[in-house]
Amino acid sequence: MTVVEQTGAPKTTPPGRPRRRPSPLGSKWTPYLFLAPAALFILVFQAVPLVQEVYLSFTRTRLLNPTRSEWVGLENFNRIFGDPEFHRTLLITVVYVITCVVVAIGAGLVVALLLNRKFRGRGVARALVTVPWAAPGIAVALIATWMLNAQYGIVNRFLDAVGLGVPGGAILDSPRYALPAVLATTIWQLFPFTSVVLLSALQSVPQDLNEAATVDGAGRWATFRAVTWQVIKPTVGLLALLMTIWSLRRFELIWLMTKGGPVGATETLVIDLYSQAFDSKELGSAAAIGMVGVVISLIVIIGSRLVARAVEKGDVR
Amino acid sequence: MGNKRAHFGIARATCALGLVATLLTGCGSDGDSGDGVTKLTFAASTFGDPGRGPLLTKWLDEFNQSQTKVQVSAAAVPYPTFGQTVLTQMGSGKGPDLIRFDMPEFEAASDAGLVAPLDKVIDASKYDLLKQPDQFMVHDGVRHGVIFEASNYAMFYNADLIPTPPTTYEQFTSTAKSLTKGDVFGLAFRQTEAEEAGVWQDIFNYVYGFGGAWSDGKNLTINSPENLKGLQAFKDLYDANVIPRGADAATFRRMFAEGKVGMELNNGGYVTATRGQNAKLNFNVAPIPFPVRKQGAILAPIVINEASEGKEEAGTFIKWALEPQNQVKLQEILGASSVATATQRSAEALKATAFLPVFDGLTETSLPQIVLGFEAKTPDIRKVVVQNVVAALQGKADLKSALDRAQQQATELVR
Repeated sequence: MTVVEQTGAPKTTPPGRPRRRPSPLGSKWTPYLFLAPAALFILVFQAVPLVQEVYLSFTRTRLLNPTRSEWVGLENFNRIFGDPEFHRTLLITVVYVITCVVVAIGAGLVVALLLNRKFRGRGVARALVTVPWAAPGIAVALIATWMLNAQYGIVNRFLDAVGLGVPGGAILDSPRYALPAVLATTIWQLFPFTSVVLLSALQSVPQDLNEAATVDGAGRWATFRAVTWQVIKPTVGLLALLMTIWSLRRFELIWLMTKGGPVGATETLVIDLYSQAFDSKELGSAAAIGMVGVVISLIVIIGSRLVARAVEKGDVR
Repeated sequence: MGNKRAHFGIARATCALGLVATLLTGCGSDGDSGDGVTKLTFAASTFGDPGRGPLLTKWLDEFNQSQTKVQVSAAAVPYPTFGQTVLTQMGSGKGPDLIRFDMPEFEAASDAGLVAPLDKVIDASKYDLLKQPDQFMVHDGVRHGVIFEASNYAMFYNADLIPTPPTTYEQFTSTAKSLTKGDVFGLAFRQTEAEEAGVWQDIFNYVYGFGGAWSDGKNLTINSPENLKGLQAFKDLYDANVIPRGADAATFRRMFAEGKVGMELNNGGYVTATRGQNAKLNFNVAPIPFPVRKQGAILAPIVINEASEGKEEAGTFIKWALEPQNQVKLQEILGASSVATATQRSAEALKATAFLPVFDGLTETSLPQIVLGFEAKTPDIRKVVVQNVVAALQGKADLKSALDRAQQQATELVR
């Protein structure tokens, strides 16, 4: 960009042309003007409820009488952290989130690597792989529940046929198998997204670097580590962050498949929150659980930023 | 000039804020539409029933045709989320004007002051109300509801599979076992936490049928020996694999209609639904053959929302519904259920459904599925009990420990 310094005579309006008012788009307020709708939206639909939630978490508030709330300080937090059931809920949440993130990204990467190769029907395969992601969560949950149905589900028929059938076929009603079933469904829905994103990242890997590595005698794994992984690493990091936040707040799929049961086997933080708010009708406790979720999300975000910085500086490989 | 511009800016900002506020508040109750007609909403999960919903809507139309000042429209909220949806709306000072509640939600709403007292709206002494169910409509001398539907639990059996119904618990279990073969099951009941309210309804019959109760009116008795006996019977049937495990109510009811389930404990409302699924099914009904003749009943009161702006008009609807000819029509729609008042069944109805008197004969020994003395806390107690019973079914705990745990947890809840 060239900067022209204006010197000499003061600026004057050319003769015969009326003086124009300065355009509002050129003022210093312009950026704020464009940001205002989004800011207002965030303020109304994100910030205000968050502040309200923080306040609620320090009160005893019943769903049926929300106006009659009572300030109780840290009582809600003391109660939930003193409850062994909540510790189990936290553990299930951690298992759920980590499994979703690791397996969805791992499976997505494998599929992306396959789809990045040249083969006949690649376009169709790329289109088909996005189907689970395109399907709404409710539809995915209903399809999975139907497939896992104890009486007529295709999964039971298959497992019975190969001698791995669950007694009675009630996979979603078994405390042992319900969480793996919910996880498998979640990952089935998630991995197309990770594979599409990773596929686009793979396509930005310079081909000449791969070829150079091959010429230098590097094997496939070494080439992947030295070239491909270095290019797609930031994308994987971003995906991991997104997947973590999404998995922490995933509700509809778990709720529709198991409602957090059986015997709390699939009860994650958001399910517990819903249960407290709408079954037990305790908005205060529900808000406290929500705050725990917010804090975990913040830790994950800040942690990921720190890791990203360390990676940029070369402290972490 | 600057002042004018500032005022103009403030006016614009106010308009924008007003628009946002309008969008945020959304639409409230219709209220008076301006032509002198008060429009009310009546929420009931039964409006969504394939068998009864359309008939109930027609019944509402009859009311609307008889009125010039009040119009009632149906709002079908699905059964599994009905309580949560409507109670949340009512808690925030909104919601439908008229509501058909199930008992646990009715008690919770009533206890929270969300239900309008009906004494000023209707004169109950004018009607021949069924005493046994109606007593649960009055709290501390104040009437909060009127029975919309009272439906006793009985044993439905597939008459092609079971020519003679069992009359003792031993016969009941042996029939269930002998029928279970291949894809046919002797019995079906709900047993998953995902159907919490349904499991509660099912285990209620086992607890009361074996002489138990959830409370003595003052203290909870969840882990009493009688309750343990009843729930052990429930668990024994589960363990005996005579039920389609993991099948939800929708699935096993379809199986019953297809002749793949021999027996089911259910309420009168199920008659119409079963016929809706298979009009040719040869089924019959008998009292539940448990040691004690005491069983659950679905009591569904109709109430007026305290927040409604049309309470008087809502009362007009309830009064219309209580008129003898409208009660008869309502009972015909509801099938084997009873309505608020003592109503004679027609000869045609008895000819079409010979077992209707079986249901009617159970009214005096039927109880609403609430915890007596802790009515408003029933949903919380239900959650605790069902979770622990399901844990025992799943082998996570033995039944005695599960009930002890439920007793302890529920006692903490009601303390």
